[in-house]
Amino acid sequence: MMKDDAPSSSLEPRRILAAMGPGMVAALAGADAGGVATYSNAGALFGFDQLWTVPVMCFLLIVAQETAARMGCVTGKGFASLIREQFGVRLSVVAMLALLISNTTVTLSEFAGIASALALFGVPPIVSVPVAALAIWLLTMSGSYRRIEKVLLAIACVFVTYVIAGVMVGPDWGDALIHTVIPHVTASPQYLSLLVANVGTTIAPWMLFLAQSNVVEKNARAADLPYQRIDTVTGAVVASAISWFIILTTGAVLNPAGVVVNGAEDAASALAPLVGGYAEALFGAGLAGASLLAACVLPGITSSAICEAFGWERGADRSWSEAPAYRGIITAVIAISAVVVVLPNVNLFGIMMVAQVINGVLLPVLLVFMVLIASDRHVMGRFANGRIWNALTWFTIVAVAILTVVMFVMQAMGM
Amino acid sequence: MIYLSQLLGNPVLDADGEKIGTVSDLGIATGEVFPRVTSLAFMGPGRTPIMISWRKYVERYDENEVNLKVIATDLRFSYLQPDEVLLARDILNKQIVDTHGMRVVRVNDLKLSDTSSTQLRLLGAEVGARGLLRSLHPALESVALRLARTFGHPMPERIIAWNYMDLVERDLSNVKLSVSHKTLDDMHPADIADIIERLDPRLRGQVFAQLDDEQRADAMAEFDDDAMAAELMGSLNETDASRMLAEMDPDDAAELVSELDYDKAEKLLRLMGVQEQRAIRQLLGYRENTAGRIMTSEVATVPDDATVADAVEMLRGLDEDFESVRYVYLTDEGGKLAGVVTLPGLIVADPETRLSELATEDLITASPEDDQEDVAEDIAKYNLLAMPVVNDEGRLLGIVTVDDALDVLEEEHAEDLRVAGGSADGEDSGHASTLIWLVRRNVWVVLWAVGVVALALVAGTRLGLGETLAATIPLAVALVLADDSVSYVTNFFLENDPDDEDAPSALGFAFKGLGLGVALGALVALIVLGLESVIASPAVPSSIERLGPALSAGGVAAAVSTFVSFATTPIYLAVLRRRDETNKETSGFTLSLVSMLVAVVVFLAAVLALAGPLGLVG
Repeated sequence: MMKDDAPSSSLEPRRILAAMGPGMVAALAGADAGGVATYSNAGALFGFDQLWTVPVMCFLLIVAQETAARMGCVTGKGFASLIREQFGVRLSVVAMLALLISNTTVTLSEFAGIASALALFGVPPIVSVPVAALAIWLLTMSGSYRRIEKVLLAIACVFVTYVIAGVMVGPDWGDALIHTVIPHVTASPQYLSLLVANVGTTIAPWMLFLAQSNVVEKNARAADLPYQRIDTVTGAVVASAISWFIILTTGAVLNPAGVVVNGAEDAASALAPLVGGYAEALFGAGLAGASLLAACVLPGITSSAICEAFGWERGADRSWSEAPAYRGIITAVIAISAVVVVLPNVNLFGIMMVAQVINGVLLPVLLVFMVLIASDRHVMGRFANGRIWNALTWFTIVAVAILTVVMFVMQAMGM
Repeated sequence: MIYLSQLLGNPVLDADGEKIGTVSDLGIATGEVFPRVTSLAFMGPGRTPIMISWRKYVERYDENEVNLKVIATDLRFSYLQPDEVLLARDILNKQIVDTHGMRVVRVNDLKLSDTSSTQLRLLGAEVGARGLLRSLHPALESVALRLARTFGHPMPERIIAWNYMDLVERDLSNVKLSVSHKTLDDMHPADIADIIERLDPRLRGQVFAQLDDEQRADAMAEFDDDAMAAELMGSLNETDASRMLAEMDPDDAAELVSELDYDKAEKLLRLMGVQEQRAIRQLLGYRENTAGRIMTSEVATVPDDATVADAVEMLRGLDEDFESVRYVYLTDEGGKLAGVVTLPGLIVADPETRLSELATEDLITASPEDDQEDVAEDIAKYNLLAMPVVNDEGRLLGIVTVDDALDVLEEEHAEDLRVAGGSADGEDSGHASTLIWLVRRNVWVVLWAVGVVALALVAGTRLGLGETLAATIPLAVALVLADDSVSYVTNFFLENDPDDEDAPSALGFAFKGLGLGVALGALVALIVLGLESVIASPAVPSSIERLGPALSAGGVAAAVSTFVSFATTPIYLAVLRRRDETNKETSGFTLSLVSMLVAVVVFLAAVLALAGPLGLVG
């Protein structure tokens, strides 16, 4: 289906390690606030019923990420750049608006995640959010977040505890496997909106931009494609494994007990069988780490993509006077997100869910751009999408679009 | 005046007024300053792309339609010529280098103008916000213009003329532009290097590959980022890379080669000519940051019995890329440096004059092992354009030129700033925001809070809230003093060179530190104890009586902590000097942070040790 470069030259282990990274960041940041909220809700509300989505999502994630990385390798340009050059100004504005909205809501959900994670330690949102916003702003502006990227990644690894917790809970493995393989669909708006949110958090638009810009920054060539693919696949598999176990654990612990996940403490309680009283602390640390990681990455990616599309100066080493748009967008995204989250009487966990739904709705827009560029032989040469890859991407687009429409219709009809 | 965005998509009507397609592109001839539009590309029926000659067939055009002179069946199709470029395909929405403003920009629209009835010429690329708005919708542009005028900030167009445009992606179009189009190559190498640094990594390689050998060598020497230079070098093939190295000044080449890994460097050196290779290898033999490493071996020398005419003859015979000559050096038979003649001196002198009569024999020289900073400072001090480097026997090895000396001074200055706590890394020094600066300056508040929490945790229920707070008040003073102790060290480090004989010795520094520690510690203790007695005195209502002992414990602990901060200053100095010798960069901010953390720990230990004797623990 894909034509590989280099006549099956053996892969060098050292280069595989060098290529690893972006995929893992995307995977673990995928277990961010919105991700955890969506998955634990899925488990708590429907037990194992949504387990089947995990392998499907994993596959679609690989399709999308591989395409993004391949476009980066072949053209050496970012996704935003390609959209602008292939589709002109008007459609770029559409795409960039979609990205801006989607990423602002996700950043918002990350702040909500940080707030509810720190609330587990007794820090009220009115304190934690401004401090986090200021810290993130400084880190993004000075470009020094990369120095603490590893630390945040390590903290986010806490979510691996869901794997252990899942094993210790002793679920009905046979049942879980059956549910993983055979889809169980419930025709309720809640189920569908969870499904859309699930797509939105697993294949987040910002991940596509992140994957491609990472490849471009590293100046990976078409010859490096096999390595980038390994990175993509491992990242997607790890992300999916984590989400599978979150659904499994919450499905086994919370669903029978009838607990509805309304806040971080409910989601954390799924870990109680494993770590007992430390569940909240552990869960809080992991959620804060993953959310911070994503919140540091997101404003920069958004701003960078927009500036790239419109040809404005960008980069952390440009000053306010050199790159006003770049710095302005970052500041605006962070400020808006932080302010909305500290507004009184907001449901933080609700915000995270809504953000993922918006993500799911806007995803098809960007995927359409992607599939059109990736299958254009003028741009991609012999690395253009094959038929199967195209079909899979279009399938994703159509499926998400239909899901979204059905969801809205059902909600409108008040079912 | 018309814009490409207004032409694209317009219907193309033939002589009968029959619609035969929609405009999709315009072709231009690239050879002129304001290139002529030569062909019209349009989508014919059934989305067939068709191209025809503009001059032959176009009768009229405006914002709404294009009228042809003939009927559809009389059209003869043409093909894109090698020197033609399609505006929409190759330029619109693409990144170009504005070689006039020296920036990388994206083309939002293209401005065309009619010079005669049917001749249309390209005026330039619009890269500003107006082009963006116009491409979105012309109405948006006029609204924005009106708004801008109301607020008194007119929105000018930002047009880049064709002769100031450089299409960075030349090789992606099938057109060979290079014949008529060499704008990037005309720029100063330092500007080229600046622009290349701003491009995406892939484009960097492409633009770099378009330069000729000499341009490449010059631009390479101008890169600020050595790692990027090494990467660009890696993107060239080996013959090109070694040819470029040979083209560079040996000192710049040596610096670049030292960035490469060993195998690659060896391979490249071996491909070079013997002479250049020897020059670079010789330089690489000297330690980093010495005069030997930054000197160039390309020196204009003549025997000391030569005449002015001989010297001029020698200068005429030099290679074109020879390091620019500022002085002519005289050497005796043994190769020993005997004197120097300035270029102006040569010009005004009579051709028959012997150089030894003109020469200055009392020379300022450097040894190859000298620190580059000292050499640079001497060059500045004696107002030289170049300083000769000689070995122990007095043989001339090379010269350090003033441009290299300036680079050294700039580099050392940045390093000193960093030690003084100016900025974490050179990159954001210029733009570090005020906020970051404020946070850095006031980080002691955070550490003070950490101290309070730590004391509360360690002491547990033994201390009440009031006592804990009272005890940690003096910690703030101790922290600020710890920060100052590091400034004291860094100032000493920057002002004094360990190799300098006049500088105070490390032992003296250590004693001074101890003395300062004792004095400041005593001062802190006295102030706090005085404060406590005032509070405890009958003049003050005694509602805070229990806090007295806590405050004095804190005061004594702060005194101890202050003493330790200053007593340990020699350690920080030693660390700074050790790291400086191995050329590692040290941030003053990190040092203060360490010092303040130590102060917190010492303070905590002291408070706990004192809590018992002072009757704090109930």
